[in-house]
Amino acid sequence: MGVSEVFAEFGDVYLQSLLSTWLMTAVCFAGGLALGILATVLRVSPIKPLRVAGDIYVQLFRNIPTVSLLVIFVYALPYLGLMLSYRTCLLACVILVVSSFASENFMSGINAIGAGQIEAARSIGLSFVQIIRLIVIPQSLRTTVLPMTNLLIATLLTTAMGSQVPLTPPELTGMVNYVNSRSVAGISAFVLSAICYAGTSVVIGFLGNKLDEKVRIVR
Amino acid sequence: MSIQTSMPIISMRHVDKHFGQLHVLRDINLDVAKGEVVVLIGPSGSGKSTLCRTINRLETIDSGEILFEGKPLPQEGKELAAMRAEIGMVFQSFNLFAHKTILDNVTMGPVEVLHRPRKEAEAEAMELLDRVGVAAQAHKVPAQLSGGQQQRVAIARSLAMHPKAMLFDEPTSALDPEMINEVLDVMVELAGMGMTMVVVTHEMNFARRVSNRVVFMADGQIVEQNTPDEFFDHPKSERAKDFLDSIKGH
Repeated sequence: MGVSEVFAEFGDVYLQSLLSTWLMTAVCFAGGLALGILATVLRVSPIKPLRVAGDIYVQLFRNIPTVSLLVIFVYALPYLGLMLSYRTCLLACVILVVSSFASENFMSGINAIGAGQIEAARSIGLSFVQIIRLIVIPQSLRTTVLPMTNLLIATLLTTAMGSQVPLTPPELTGMVNYVNSRSVAGISAFVLSAICYAGTSVVIGFLGNKLDEKVRIVR
Repeated sequence: MSIQTSMPIISMRHVDKHFGQLHVLRDINLDVAKGEVVVLIGPSGSGKSTLCRTINRLETIDSGEILFEGKPLPQEGKELAAMRAEIGMVFQSFNLFAHKTILDNVTMGPVEVLHRPRKEAEAEAMELLDRVGVAAQAHKVPAQLSGGQQQRVAIARSLAMHPKAMLFDEPTSALDPEMINEVLDVMVELAGMGMTMVVVTHEMNFARRVSNRVVFMADGQIVEQNTPDEFFDHPKSERAKDFLDSIKGH
């Protein structure tokens, strides 16, 4: 079967899986950013145990392969009495991994701010929380648009881990199994998924560059 | 001078500080009266910037005590933040918030710390920016301004908090020569209005013209202090004589 034939026969299911991939990417990226900000706030807090906890969190989830994490979630958590759906396991794993990379990006953004601005903020009487909210987060978000764009693309590609667990509807990579178990599409099914991934990534990259030009902080 | 006899607004008693092995402040005793302009001078590494930064606790001290309006500086937290809001600080490298407009740099403190309505804070900020001569730049970001303009904005940002005293940590050292005077002019005006000021500077003309007292530091100690005319015309210590010799005659 050629790519066009696969598309003719499975086009609507592909569309569903593409939407599923996009949705999971959006959820994982948003969750990852939120948790990443939280971990980063811990890592720069004035309280040492919190800093250590933040560092351990990032080291842990940055250094475990996502697939191993997924295996742990799917097979080990039930022994601890925690039975999550396959989709929840997948989302949780991707969010944890993405948040640790997001935190590393934020840290580099924070390092670019410079101690002077923080001292100036302290000397007009801003509290730690206000400095984080008014200075640190806005500036590090705006200086890390490009690495965050990369991370969004990486998140998109990492959702392919969903092919390792049964999902309905499947995401783009799981879709290849779905098609190939119902027809002899062979490599064509992969090509169609690859086109979807690549197309999405190109659009993300383009928008990321545009956003960066718009919000980048002139220093 | 009568100004010296009123109750000090800033008072340092037996202050000591180390950076690792380096003894940067040695038994510092210094009172600053309300409305007084004190200039700290001395060779680089003498501890004058560190001394300035301990007054609003950007640097902690090892022993001794620092009082502001008779009260010891609190530990890091809400109380200290409230006290810092009453002490303006101007840095060598301006330290404006890079992601905010000039106007927002000035209104951030009044709005977030003093909880003043934004409209009101903006109106006052525009007045202050006008006073320091950068009102036309209000909607630009810091990187679009010259160093002298940025430093004047930094002064306006401090003034917006209605500080009871102001610290200047080498405010003109990072400026091109032609921009130094525009910043000094603003400081002279402030001194004339009765602002209490502690100024670390290498601008000897400013020290002589504007200050009430010159404090000379070397090796972490206050070596001598006097009125500017006495200090510059008749320095007592060898260290001060050497220092004054080394900076004149170019």
